[in-house]
Amino acid sequence: MNTLLRALLPIGLLALTTLAWAHSPIMGIGGVFGGMLHALLIPEHGLSLLGIALGLERPAASRSGMLIFVAALVAGLAVTAFIAEPALAADILLAATGILGLLIAAAWVPPVVAWPLAAIAGVAFALDSRPEVTATDEIIRMLIGTGIGAAIALAIVAVGSTFLRGNAARIVLRVLGSWVAAIAILDLSLRIATRLATGS
Amino acid sequence: MTSGAAFFDCRRTISRSLCSLLPVAAALITSSPAFAHSENGAAIDFAGGFTHPIFGPDHVIAMVAVGLWGAFLGMPAIWLLPVVFPLVMAIAGALGVLGVPLPGVEFGIALSAIALGGMVAFAARPPLWIAAVLVGAFAIFHGHAHGTELPVGADAIAYSMGFVIATGMLHVSGIAFGALSRWPAGRVAVRTAGAVIAIIGFAYLVRVI
Repeated sequence: MNTLLRALLPIGLLALTTLAWAHSPIMGIGGVFGGMLHALLIPEHGLSLLGIALGLERPAASRSGMLIFVAALVAGLAVTAFIAEPALAADILLAATGILGLLIAAAWVPPVVAWPLAAIAGVAFALDSRPEVTATDEIIRMLIGTGIGAAIALAIVAVGSTFLRGNAARIVLRVLGSWVAAIAILDLSLRIATRLATGS
Repeated sequence: MTSGAAFFDCRRTISRSLCSLLPVAAALITSSPAFAHSENGAAIDFAGGFTHPIFGPDHVIAMVAVGLWGAFLGMPAIWLLPVVFPLVMAIAGALGVLGVPLPGVEFGIALSAIALGGMVAFAARPPLWIAAVLVGAFAIFHGHAHGTELPVGADAIAYSMGFVIATGMLHVSGIAFGALSRWPAGRVAVRTAGAVIAIIGFAYLVRVI
């Protein structure tokens, strides 16, 4: 029962989350802490971290997959410090998350698919994390915070997902995967439709 | 009792790991919403997405019927059908959002209630793949209908979260009621519920025609 409760927690937490500001989670908080909050409070980013951690939960894909994601994230953050935020970064992140969700729902996450997705998600996560501040020092501090926050959040969900053992927990994992995929697909389509409607 | 004492008392009575996550849940509950990607002031939030499927009775009965039928069929249908439905629904919803036309949507929705309710009422036990294909096929109509109704400019991620979680909760409520089928009287109640869903679906069908 405790295992089931632990498995249901992500659902509860997902339901409790509310929207966050895209590029300034809490006014007045900048620097490393602001960057950490940025990584943790952007719903798209939270969804992708959940999908990645659950998708890389299986031993065959986990350690290398996590390392690939973090390496891609660090590389992406380094690039983000010096370029403007690409328009499609969030869309790519959602697409990777959606595919991972589908794979989780199908209980088929081969490393050959999961690892490239982890790399794509890591880079897209970083590129979508550029803070809306102008000072280069502040940008760098916030991006460092974003990297730390994302790594911590990923580790927490990954450790939590190791409790998902047994049939009931495996089922919860697949249901969660289907929900992650469904949310990512709907979100992505709404973004595209909004972009088409507004011509932006 | 002070909050600290209550916390430690909590640690004794509830699972320790669960208890340690309560502050996180509390922090999330008390966080205030904002609208990150609203367009033209037409932002619609988590609550909007959550209530969207719940306020459509034709959708509600079909989604509950999926849970009922899954529970009636037992493992693995009890979880497989509620996994198939939101996935297919989301893909069809995306097509609806993007304006891809699908004929006979209302007809398909009414038919889904009749078919799924009928399956429960008649205690039908087809092979799992047939049940999954049937549920997936009907999810196309529900997803497309939702997709065409979704407001462009909605706060996409929150709206989608609310929408998917509400759909899942409707399935869970169907499964919970369907679990009564373990007992003879409960079995009658579940089959009766299936019959009621089919009748309501038929009423929708008459209205559509």
